[in-house]
Amino acid sequence: MFQAFVIQALVTGGVYALLAVGFSLIFGVARMVNLAHTSFLMLAAYGMFYTTYRLGLDVFTAILISLVATIIIGLVSYKLFIDRIREHEVTVMLITLALATIFQESMILAFGAHFREAPTLIPGYAEIFAVKVMYQHLLTIAVVAVVLLGMWLLLTKTKLGIAIRATAQDAEIANLMGINVSNILLVAMGIAAALASIAGIVVAPLWVVFPYMWMSPLVMIMAIVVLGGLGSIKGSLIAAFIIGLVEVAVVFYLPGGSFLRSAIALLVMVIILVVRPEGLYGIVFEEERL
Amino acid sequence: MLRRLFKDIQGEILAIPGRLIALIFFILLFFIPLITQEYYILFVLILVNIFVIFAVSWDFVSGYTGQVSFGHAFFFGVAAYTAALLNKYLGLQPWATIPLGAIAATLAGMVMCLPALRLRGPYLSLVTLAMPLILLGIIKAFPDVTGGEHGISGLPALSGSRMSDYYITLIVMLASVFIMWKLTDSRSGMVRTGIILHAIREDEIAARATGINTIRYKLFAFIVGGFFAGLAGGLYAHFLKIAGPATLDMTLSFQVIIWTVFGGIVSIYGAVVGVYVLYPLMELLRQFNVPVWPGSEIMFSDMRFLIFSAMVIAILLFMPEGVAVWIRDKMERQCPRCKLSNASWRRTCRACGASLY
Amino acid sequence: MKKFFFICFVSIILAAMILPACAAPVTDVIKVGVIGPMKFMEGENHWNGAVLARDEINAAGGVNLNGKKYQIQLIKADSNEILSPTDAAAAMERLITVDKPDFVIGGFRTEGVFPMQEVAMNYKKIFMNCGAATRALQAKVETNYDRYKYFFKVTPYNEYFLVSTDFKMLNMVATILKKELNLPATEKLRVAIVAEKLTWADAMVTTAEATIPKLGMEVVGTWRPSDTATDVNAELTAIAAKNPHIIFPTFSGPVGVTFGKQAGEMQIPAAIVGIVVEAQKSGYWEATGGKGNYVMTLNTYADGVAVTEKTLPFLAKYKKQFGQFPSYTAASYDAVLMMKGIIEKAQSLDPEILVPLIEKSEYLSTAGLIKYYPVGPDTKAPACPHDIMYGPGLTTGLGTQWQNGQLKGVWPAKGIGTGGFENIDYPGIVPYMIPPAVIEKFKVK
Repeated sequence: MFQAFVIQALVTGGVYALLAVGFSLIFGVARMVNLAHTSFLMLAAYGMFYTTYRLGLDVFTAILISLVATIIIGLVSYKLFIDRIREHEVTVMLITLALATIFQESMILAFGAHFREAPTLIPGYAEIFAVKVMYQHLLTIAVVAVVLLGMWLLLTKTKLGIAIRATAQDAEIANLMGINVSNILLVAMGIAAALASIAGIVVAPLWVVFPYMWMSPLVMIMAIVVLGGLGSIKGSLIAAFIIGLVEVAVVFYLPGGSFLRSAIALLVMVIILVVRPEGLYGIVFEEERL
Repeated sequence: MLRRLFKDIQGEILAIPGRLIALIFFILLFFIPLITQEYYILFVLILVNIFVIFAVSWDFVSGYTGQVSFGHAFFFGVAAYTAALLNKYLGLQPWATIPLGAIAATLAGMVMCLPALRLRGPYLSLVTLAMPLILLGIIKAFPDVTGGEHGISGLPALSGSRMSDYYITLIVMLASVFIMWKLTDSRSGMVRTGIILHAIREDEIAARATGINTIRYKLFAFIVGGFFAGLAGGLYAHFLKIAGPATLDMTLSFQVIIWTVFGGIVSIYGAVVGVYVLYPLMELLRQFNVPVWPGSEIMFSDMRFLIFSAMVIAILLFMPEGVAVWIRDKMERQCPRCKLSNASWRRTCRACGASLY
Repeated sequence: MKKFFFICFVSIILAAMILPACAAPVTDVIKVGVIGPMKFMEGENHWNGAVLARDEINAAGGVNLNGKKYQIQLIKADSNEILSPTDAAAAMERLITVDKPDFVIGGFRTEGVFPMQEVAMNYKKIFMNCGAATRALQAKVETNYDRYKYFFKVTPYNEYFLVSTDFKMLNMVATILKKELNLPATEKLRVAIVAEKLTWADAMVTTAEATIPKLGMEVVGTWRPSDTATDVNAELTAIAAKNPHIIFPTFSGPVGVTFGKQAGEMQIPAAIVGIVVEAQKSGYWEATGGKGNYVMTLNTYADGVAVTEKTLPFLAKYKKQFGQFPSYTAASYDAVLMMKGIIEKAQSLDPEILVPLIEKSEYLSTAGLIKYYPVGPDTKAPACPHDIMYGPGLTTGLGTQWQNGQLKGVWPAKGIGTGGFENIDYPGIVPYMIPPAVIEKFKVK
């Protein structure tokens, strides 16, 4: 029972970590509450469903098509709708919400509000300490590791990464230093969309694919990113495992109340934030005059 | 006395096109039941009135203090459930349950404030987002008291008839909007809160440096906003005769942001315009029961969320400040010397005579 | 650009105001309002069922009323009730006051049907409930007859009868497992209860926890995930750690898909039998990628099972026209045909005349014989006035199991059960299949 608990907590945390990384990036860099983030995940999941089950393509082509299509949609919607009004923070948030609704409604028109399946990349399960763990879950954890490593390399070792971090810290100064902030944000948006669609391709097979699937993970992802501290990918990672641990603890030790898993996780988030108002690894906002 | 009132009207309302339009609009609202008594139209308008109170209270909390709340439905739901429980267990009638519900929402506002005073920006937004979701968990955990996902139904109606429902909500709405508008009016001679809230929003640190107890004013904003949101929640519960989990739903919290930002944030009337345009628009789109192309099974009304979102995006792209603010800026111009609003077609300021060019 | 958008905006609003007014009033029609969550499977079935009935009636000339032939005209209303009960109330208000139907059919989610019921009763409109089981809806007829007498149920029978059917199915599976696995008579079967956290499931859980030990089985635990949970992997791991023979689910929400899919992926060695509304639909196989194999659920229709003489022709027609298998809300078909008979008998569209006739009617539907419990003190809970009667020869429901891509009827099987259920012999019922993982793990050699 206990080892099942520990393994489940790691697995759940891993899924959340993968979902949260991209959101953390766009939130930290662009200061943009991108409510459409998980709807890119949904688009990628539908992409996988459509290309494999309807077009009959093989999995690798399907992944490629879904990934590229989602990135293009992300970039185009940034260029068309967000770039020109990015000074108006709340309006940007609203437009991303409207975009998410448009994606959702388009999927309903295209495929109906039915439940669908995205293909499992590695079917079956492994037994670790006599606990069944799906290969797909192990794959999720591996992808998280790769993505984090890639992000770390990108952000610390490349010129682009340094520009991204500079923009995250102070967009105005970065602009003065000759960084094209608009382009950096475009790139950040592209990366975020890519990460969302990778998450969709890896995680959606564990879930059910349907047009409203973006709503409930969105709240948990935002909670994780904020709990970890704005702009801190390390913080998001740790927060993802904290939330995962709390949720699994509720399911294991309060089985009659497993519907409360998100509510209790959110409560834990609120308590931690009251104690540490800037999140686990966030910058202190007091210093920043917006 | 009367002469003074007349003078005030002439100087402060008739001279400014925005206010004149608002006055005409509000007077027109009183005559709607004389034009049509169609139940469905009144039904929609009553909901619009209720949601106006709700949206304006969001603007009051979030717009004016800069504390963007993602969980405004918390107040709405707390009040709706309080009203319903008071009626279910104590048998109280709407005239008592609605104010008591609003007071409960005020208390909820104070509770929400405790973290809010320590947190800023997105941190605060997320905590406010979490509050109604946590409360929803509690409601689901005690279905015997709260009715679980069905909510508490069979509440007494607001009043006997649709028409009186309309006038009750209209008058409550006008009074609430007027009070909140006065409280945020930065030029008001009677209450200072307006100018202080503006100051906090523009630069909290600077405001604190001038000796303003910013925490007290934020608390004040949450309490007032909570009260009026609660008022809306109580009216809603008694109008639809049901208080259910939908009153705490995340979609409602986001809906209120859509309405307010669409109309124009930090303006009070922006929220009014937002609800009066968007809510009936959604209902109009529902009427649009015609095929997208001849013979198609898909109706325009099936695409109403799509059309609605596309319209919101299209309009916000050109008027990122919101529709009402955009129109106001076209119609009015501020005098560079005395900061008084003037109709945009005037060449000189109506008060100090300075050139407006 | 700006102008273009503005013109679009204005023209759409104008068109929206003018177009409904242009629709020329047609005389000699009976208008039927079909209300449901049209974007979802349930609403689609409401609509499709009604369309079949309309086409059938109109092709045969229409409804005979006062010497004239009336055509049936359907009006579609999207209640959006799954997402917003407020929307549902507004949609019903609009449907009744603007489109003015003669009666209304539809409804699915209890929380949405409550406000719709209030609106319909305000206007004294007959409202045939085709989807919400909850007895509390029907109980209003009992407490305030004059106001709520216009509200009738067409499908399904209420949750108390659902529970009782559910245990009949569980008992059947338990008997088969014990026999086929050669378990010693002393060994108790272990049952894990999983139910979504919704009110209707609360009653189910309380009853199950009390009843299952009486059936000679042992409850190893109760899990209550959210009805919209997207990941129940943690629950499944916790359940698997308790080693149950049977998992007894109660799901109406999307969690039913997640649960079946993840249980299949991890090959949890337990027989899943209970209520999984999603598994009633033909899309379940595709939604779970075939991993929902062997899931057994209470249902209304099954492949090739003739509950009444009308069932198979209806299934065939539905499949031909819409390319899929109907779910239980397609009983709107029965609702329209039943109302046709009653209107012809009454020779009137006045609800005050129709209501007593509906109360006394007997109608052979595609899912059984529809009869209503009478109004008065003789009808005691769990029965309820204006609710459909339950039992052999009336409506019984079916137990269906997913068997390698096909939705097969496995209950009621002849010779199994008591109280008249052992005598039911629906053509097309097949034997229950034990999941291979269960045989592999528990079979005593």
